[in-house]
Amino acid sequence: MYRLIMTHEARTLARTGSLWAILALLVAAIGFAAWSGARAVDRQVRAATDAATYEDGERARMRAETEAYAARVAASGGAYEFATVRHSPGEGPPQGTNAGAVGAETSVWIALPPTGLAALAIGQSDIQLNYLPVKMGTTLEMVKNLEIENPVSLQAGAFDIAFVIIFLLPIFILAITYDLLSSERERGTLAMILAHPVSLRALLASKIAARAGIVLAVALGLGLLALLAVGTALDAGETWARFAVWCVATVLYSAFWFALAVLVNVHGRGGSATNGTILAGAWLVLVVIVPTLVSLVATTVYPAPSRMDLVVAARDAQTAGELQMQQSLDRFYSDHLDYVPVGDQRAMDFLTLSQANAANIEKQLLPLYAEFREQMHRQQALVRRFQYFSPAIMMQLALNEASGTSAERYEDFLDQAFRFRTQWNDWFASRFLRREALRPADYDRFPRFEYAPEPLPAALGRAAPSLAGLLVALLVVAAIPAGGLRRYEVAAR
Amino acid sequence: MITTIARKEFAEIVRDGRFRWTAALVVLLLVTALLAGWQRYAAYSAVQAAAQGATNEQWLKQGDKNPHTAAHYGNYAFKPLGPLAFFDSGITSYAGTAVFMEAHKQNFAIGRPANDTSSIARFGELNGAMILQVLLPLLIVFLGFTAFAAERESGTLRQVLSTGVSRGSLLWGKALGLGAAVAVVVVPCLLVGGAVIAAAGLETAEEGMAARTALVALAYLLYAATFLFLTLAVSAWARNARAALMVMVGFWAFTAFIMPKAAGELAKAAHPSPAFGTFMAEMKAHQRRGIDGVSPFAKLGRYQGQLFRQYKVSRVEDLPLYWTAVRMQKLEEIDQPVFDLHYGKVRDTYLAQRRLQDRIGVVAPTLPLRSISMGLAGTDLVQQSRFMADAEAFRHDMVFKMNDYLSKAAVDLNGVNSASRFMIANEEVFAIVPPFRYEPPAFADVLAEQVPNFALLGAWLAAAVGLAVLATRRMDLEAR
Repeated sequence: MYRLIMTHEARTLARTGSLWAILALLVAAIGFAAWSGARAVDRQVRAATDAATYEDGERARMRAETEAYAARVAASGGAYEFATVRHSPGEGPPQGTNAGAVGAETSVWIALPPTGLAALAIGQSDIQLNYLPVKMGTTLEMVKNLEIENPVSLQAGAFDIAFVIIFLLPIFILAITYDLLSSERERGTLAMILAHPVSLRALLASKIAARAGIVLAVALGLGLLALLAVGTALDAGETWARFAVWCVATVLYSAFWFALAVLVNVHGRGGSATNGTILAGAWLVLVVIVPTLVSLVATTVYPAPSRMDLVVAARDAQTAGELQMQQSLDRFYSDHLDYVPVGDQRAMDFLTLSQANAANIEKQLLPLYAEFREQMHRQQALVRRFQYFSPAIMMQLALNEASGTSAERYEDFLDQAFRFRTQWNDWFASRFLRREALRPADYDRFPRFEYAPEPLPAALGRAAPSLAGLLVALLVVAAIPAGGLRRYEVAAR
Repeated sequence: MITTIARKEFAEIVRDGRFRWTAALVVLLLVTALLAGWQRYAAYSAVQAAAQGATNEQWLKQGDKNPHTAAHYGNYAFKPLGPLAFFDSGITSYAGTAVFMEAHKQNFAIGRPANDTSSIARFGELNGAMILQVLLPLLIVFLGFTAFAAERESGTLRQVLSTGVSRGSLLWGKALGLGAAVAVVVVPCLLVGGAVIAAAGLETAEEGMAARTALVALAYLLYAATFLFLTLAVSAWARNARAALMVMVGFWAFTAFIMPKAAGELAKAAHPSPAFGTFMAEMKAHQRRGIDGVSPFAKLGRYQGQLFRQYKVSRVEDLPLYWTAVRMQKLEEIDQPVFDLHYGKVRDTYLAQRRLQDRIGVVAPTLPLRSISMGLAGTDLVQQSRFMADAEAFRHDMVFKMNDYLSKAAVDLNGVNSASRFMIANEEVFAIVPPFRYEPPAFADVLAEQVPNFALLGAWLAAAVGLAVLATRRMDLEAR
């Protein structure tokens, strides 16, 4: 019986123009979203490469100079010496022999690679700088830059596949389900159908199954096509595990909207137009109003720390550090006796000073920045709890995690970047302060950054509460109609 | 006749259950949004003023040092907001709020609030503008989609017209009644907003506040009227009420949700803007090879020769100016055109993207409205570029003043290269740099930018009215 109704429903649906119009819109929207998502990821990756290529070129130039110098020295039989820092061309050993000049005046760019699904949900990746310059200097300097993009577009947000799934798919679902029973009742066909040996429950279930089957097959099929078209790392198991999360979330989320349409159809007292109004209102409340309200309440109750305050505090620390410059230099050398240049107790050049100064400022700044970050993490953890008020928020967070564009994955990258900065700084500072001349071969020994991908379970663990929340929302909404079904009036009064 | 129809329409809408629910929701949200916007604006402004005051003080009290080192220490510019930002915060959360102004380098604004808030904030900010751009049209659709369609379904449409009422007066009467019902909901809330401005004494805080407010109100009125007539047109033309609802909700989602994002993507494709890494690599490479292909160091060498000839000397020691400072200032002037070119290109690309988005408003009236609202509230790209330009002018002046002072005060140090002998300046010298001031763009300039958008909204309204007249003239009197 179910099969019969379902095939009948599917056939009827296939003949209505509106279904095809809606599916065509869905195809167009996902196609456009895949195109713009791929462009966004491509832009990030290209920028990371451009930045790295430029700075690597700078170091390659310095290395070439040291090679020429080494050849000159070998030919003339002189000593291979350490250059003092200067900012204009001059005589003597090239700047590339000075570890301070290499480590402080060129950066090595380290990048957070996009996951295979990055183009499907842009998430926070459009405002995060996914590649960072590492050099000697302070931690704050490393993270001060922003990814740049037109603020008008940032404010509107990306047109990515996550947007299509979260915002548009529910509209499409509601458009083909809002009059599921009410239209048959209004036409008078419902009573006729039920005169046959069919229960209302079976009829409803078949109608929903036919529609859900079509919508989900199309949505997931298009998702798969999009992944094949604009995804990367398609041979990695991780990509497919992430896509599985993506599919589960999409199924749960779509099912929620189908269940909501059933709920309104079964309990709605009015006709199709009233059902339509109620469902459009529900969409508005759950997808637009609740998320903005939640964000408003959360940021008012748990405000994010202000960057402006951090700037002022950082400058206070800097001034304090500079005012103690003379003492700090003494302290620096007394902490690092092995670094005091032989026969040159008071040797100061610009870089030694700035090294001492940066170390001093860093010591004062780090606690400030740590506190800032901690406050931000606390705020974001609290705000995450508000996600259960709206399936749209849960869905967005789940998709961000599945696509690796969440704030949390970025924070993990930041931690790795900070550890690498220390390593890079120490490598160059120790050689510079010992006045150890860099030789061409040393250029192959610079510390290298190897991004340690966040273990997949960590991302899944963060997505799990959102998925669980979606499941609970679905079960609650799906459980309510059961009672109302028995009291449903099949004929319009 | 029209007023009678309007009164009947108004009474019918207000008595309907839909009105109570939607009106209550809109009032509640609008008042919340205005109050929250006010709180956010006040908090932001307090932090901004305190931060600017603090860094100005820090500049003066940075400790005695070489003037050029002081220019390296630099200062920060923090972006102030105009009072209407409480109604429409525009791009505030997505644009940098602070610019570091230092020697040798022009910088992008940093401290973008969106980076420090949860990703939930990406769903959008609840503010007065958002309610009026997104919820107000839906309120109109919900209250108006039955206007003709329901009368046709219940058979009263033929009856009414048989009494001799013209189709035109029926349309205008219904428009008036629906408009009155919407006004009953929205106007009191806006009066509350106006009262907030007046109570805080802000009506004179910015140039042309009264005119700005009036023009913003006009833009929203054009937008609301457009939706009102479109709803009536669709209600008259559609087969039944639910079809009218579907069409209008579809159009609403299209203009309020789909198009702002789609227009952003299209604009980015038409006028690609570089990402940070690409920008920096290109700019630094250009800086190194020189704006015209002559390297900065070659230019400096030529400049030194020129100075030697000018002062008829042959070595640095004999120059009447401190060469180190003159040289650093010259380097600034050599780099400046490169900065201006690259940063200017980014700014122009953003503005071109914005203009293209406005033009896409031909298919989505929310786009020109959004620009008018942000532009007049002072939370738009134009103000952001102005802020950046003011910061750059300040940086230029600060660096010039410090280098210039040094070039005259340290002539005796020419040719001396020692870590122990260099010029030290104090607070009095630093004070020759006046504190940073942001000068918002003139009201006339802001308005000129928005004239095409007003024209677009006007065209939308004219088209909507035309459609409504056409649809009522041709509408079926009985359900098919």
